[in-house]
Amino acid sequence: MSESKFETVSSLVDNYQQSESEFDELLKDEQLSGTWDRYHLIGDVLRDEVPENMQFDLSAKIADAIAEEVTILAPAKPAGFTQVVKAKVVQFSKPFGQLAIAASAAGLMIFGVQQNVAENETIMPNQIVQTNPLAGFAEPVSFNYQQTSPVSQKQAMVEQQRRFQALLSDHHQQIKLHTLPQTAQETPEKVEDSIK
Amino acid sequence: MKQLSRVLLLVCICFPAAAFESEQAKSWLERLSKSLQELNFTTSFVVVKNNQAEPYHWYHGLNEDNTELELLSLLNGPRRDILRRGSVVSYIEPELPPYSVNSERISGPIPAIFSQDISLLEPSYVFVPVGRSRVLGRTAQLVRIESKDQHRYGHWLWLDQETGLPLKLAIITRKGQLLEQVQFTHLDITDTLSETLKQLSSSELPQVIDIRSGVVVDDFIWQVNWMPKGFKRIASNRHRINVTKKPVEFALFSDGLIDISVYVGPSETKQRAEEYAMDGATIAFNKVVNGIEISVVGKIPVSTAKAIVNSVVLER
Repeated sequence: MSESKFETVSSLVDNYQQSESEFDELLKDEQLSGTWDRYHLIGDVLRDEVPENMQFDLSAKIADAIAEEVTILAPAKPAGFTQVVKAKVVQFSKPFGQLAIAASAAGLMIFGVQQNVAENETIMPNQIVQTNPLAGFAEPVSFNYQQTSPVSQKQAMVEQQRRFQALLSDHHQQIKLHTLPQTAQETPEKVEDSIK
Repeated sequence: MKQLSRVLLLVCICFPAAAFESEQAKSWLERLSKSLQELNFTTSFVVVKNNQAEPYHWYHGLNEDNTELELLSLLNGPRRDILRRGSVVSYIEPELPPYSVNSERISGPIPAIFSQDISLLEPSYVFVPVGRSRVLGRTAQLVRIESKDQHRYGHWLWLDQETGLPLKLAIITRKGQLLEQVQFTHLDITDTLSETLKQLSSSELPQVIDIRSGVVVDDFIWQVNWMPKGFKRIASNRHRINVTKKPVEFALFSDGLIDISVYVGPSETKQRAEEYAMDGATIAFNKVVNGIEISVVGKIPVSTAKAIVNSVVLER
């Protein structure tokens, strides 16, 4: 490979007019086109125009991918009995599945929205309260007793969360209001009787 | 006889040793209190609870006329600042218009008693010096403030050997479980007042609201019959709870280190079993009996909260 050919490539990269024949020669010569690629890359790097994800020889990758694609020559199999049944089943169950997904998504949204509302209203936005019922939910035991639905249980949980959040924030608020000067903290006699 | 004398000798050695240790721990805490009042410091800390971290900035300093200036701000989420100039404390919070109260301490994640007379804790707590370790790149002395009974949590304090300032604080159950901790992440002690505090010294604070002229009542039809020893009632009133706007009768108790709120109010529910929620070391405990809702909130174990709630009796 002569030095002059690289010079030709270089001048081509720099947009200096060259003759047609030289251009053709460059396209035919694999090594020279490689040099062309590299010169451009060097230029890009120097100008700081390199994309975040560099894909060298994209064209080669695409060519490879096309080559690897299998050509299907055989005709498709006729649909057998089992496949027909299967297809039916899929079709039949599909709407239900979608409905279920939609319903649960809606449920989540409602629940999520409610929680957000509850959280926005609270004093301490950073608190996530872990509620622990001591002995499960208080469920009345009687003949009129109705099974609590999951929705109402969720509501009860949100309600419970809100209740505790309110208590905690009020507690902090009251402490702030009643941080009395130290002298006032000394107990008056009344206090003792109230505690006994 | 020889054995007896040995035992006696041991007793003679041990008791003064324990007393000496307690004195030593107390002097550490006194130094803490003094440093918190007298030093110009700029510090940051993170409160870790419920798998969450809340970062704070804390400035403290003394004005030329020896007025204490203090600023504590929460760095995440909506602005939540507490300012103090002398005996006026101002709270700036998203939920309420800014207000000030007359107080010499700010109510934040660091218990206010640490900057006050520590001996107020002696009736309910013992002070134990534990040992040295490295915290925030400094040599720290660990002092444990342990409850004399089993109704309260212990507070562990890591104090800077050099200045006496806090470097870490943890609330730990009697079984050794960590509930909440405050880790300092930066500590800067300066000779002069920081720029931020200089601004505070000249800025106008919100108007002071007088708490004592508010509804302070003592004619509740209920009584709390049991509290851990050392708790005193420091306030009582009728108000509406912040978020739910439910009317309640309220009493606040304190043993100097921790505060316990007791709420009694009507409920739409007739009966509800005991329930509780934890926020770090703070518990909210609640039950409804005959349409009356009784709640207790504070940094106390479940068993204590339960005992307090169950000790509330209605007189009529």
